[in-house]
Amino acid sequence: MEHLSPERLSALVDEEPTVPECIHLASCRSCTSELDALRAQSVALKALPELLPPRGDWDSLEAELRAEGLINSFTLSNRPGFGRIRGRMKSVAMLLLFLAGAGSGALVTGLQAPDRAEAKVTPIVTVQDAATAVRLAEQRYASALSEYRQLLAAGGGEGLDIDPVNRFAALEHLVQVSQAAVRQAPGDPFLNGFLASAMAERDAAFRLVSSGRDDWF
Amino acid sequence: MIRLASQGDPGAIRSLYDRYAPRVYAVVRRIAGDDDLAQDYAQEAWIRAIRALPSFRGDARFSTWLHRIAVNAALQSLRATRTRLKYEGPPPSDVVMVPDQRDSLLQRRLEQALDRLPEGMRRVLILHDVEGYTHEEIGNVLGVTSGTSKSQLFKARSKLRNLLADLDGAANESGVEAWSI
Repeated sequence: MEHLSPERLSALVDEEPTVPECIHLASCRSCTSELDALRAQSVALKALPELLPPRGDWDSLEAELRAEGLINSFTLSNRPGFGRIRGRMKSVAMLLLFLAGAGSGALVTGLQAPDRAEAKVTPIVTVQDAATAVRLAEQRYASALSEYRQLLAAGGGEGLDIDPVNRFAALEHLVQVSQAAVRQAPGDPFLNGFLASAMAERDAAFRLVSSGRDDWF
Repeated sequence: MIRLASQGDPGAIRSLYDRYAPRVYAVVRRIAGDDDLAQDYAQEAWIRAIRALPSFRGDARFSTWLHRIAVNAALQSLRATRTRLKYEGPPPSDVVMVPDQRDSLLQRRLEQALDRLPEGMRRVLILHDVEGYTHEEIGNVLGVTSGTSKSQLFKARSKLRNLLADLDGAANESGVEAWSI
């Protein structure tokens, strides 16, 4: 029998050889090695990796999506009605910033309230100590916030006279202010922590707002 | 995230892009056989996908759904770009593979050889051997019979094998480490 054609050998990567082809392959080193190579080639093709898009790909795609109106370009600060609450929310944001800063600062520097003197704070000596203290403060803040939410939920939201959408808008504004602050001091752990908390709270608020619309996802 | 993206949420769309862009770009790049065309085709694929997001109901995995859109977008764009020049220059150097892959030399040679395959063979070979399409699926996507798909595939494999041998020979001549299957 003559050698198998290149195309027939390519087909045998997927197909079973006929009996005469089997007999030939058993005795022909050339065809066998060629078939092995084609099989290895197919295996290698299946293993080809994903490819990274070129740099700037997202930027140009984003521009096209915006041009097509497929991506929102508005921010909540442009929403109708946002201006009315902006001043009040700025005050709330400043208050929150102050409270969070004061709380973290007290923990980091080891200051104690007189009635909480029993809650010893590890002295801050190294940067690592400071980072640990900040982390603990964040955990306490998150825990307190969780309790606060539960109490509000139990009380039917009394005392929280803020529309969820407006609250989301306020948090969005807070995130933007925090981002601006972090841009000015990128290495500041407090500002970064505050930004992270604000973003988490904003995302939670967004989920709350959007959960009432539909739930197919 | 998909729901948010379908509503135009910039963060959600960016997250989808970050997660799936390498997969979309890979299939589109291989079908296009050219970096510049690939970027255009990939953008077209993403625009189509984002546009179609509201119709995605989760019947298939999102990655599969997106992949189909990318393949169709690339094939249709390729048909519209019939003036594509055959690659004659040096092999592309700026195809960046996702890191942590073994056998990068083999993969680079394969990518180069794929780019040099005739368009019809390349499409079938990529869809079958790289992307795992059946001949029936290829027939549906390309508008050919499954027999034609098989025939093209077998020719493409053989041609690719020769192209790899040529690349190996050129590498040996220039003293570059060679790889052969």
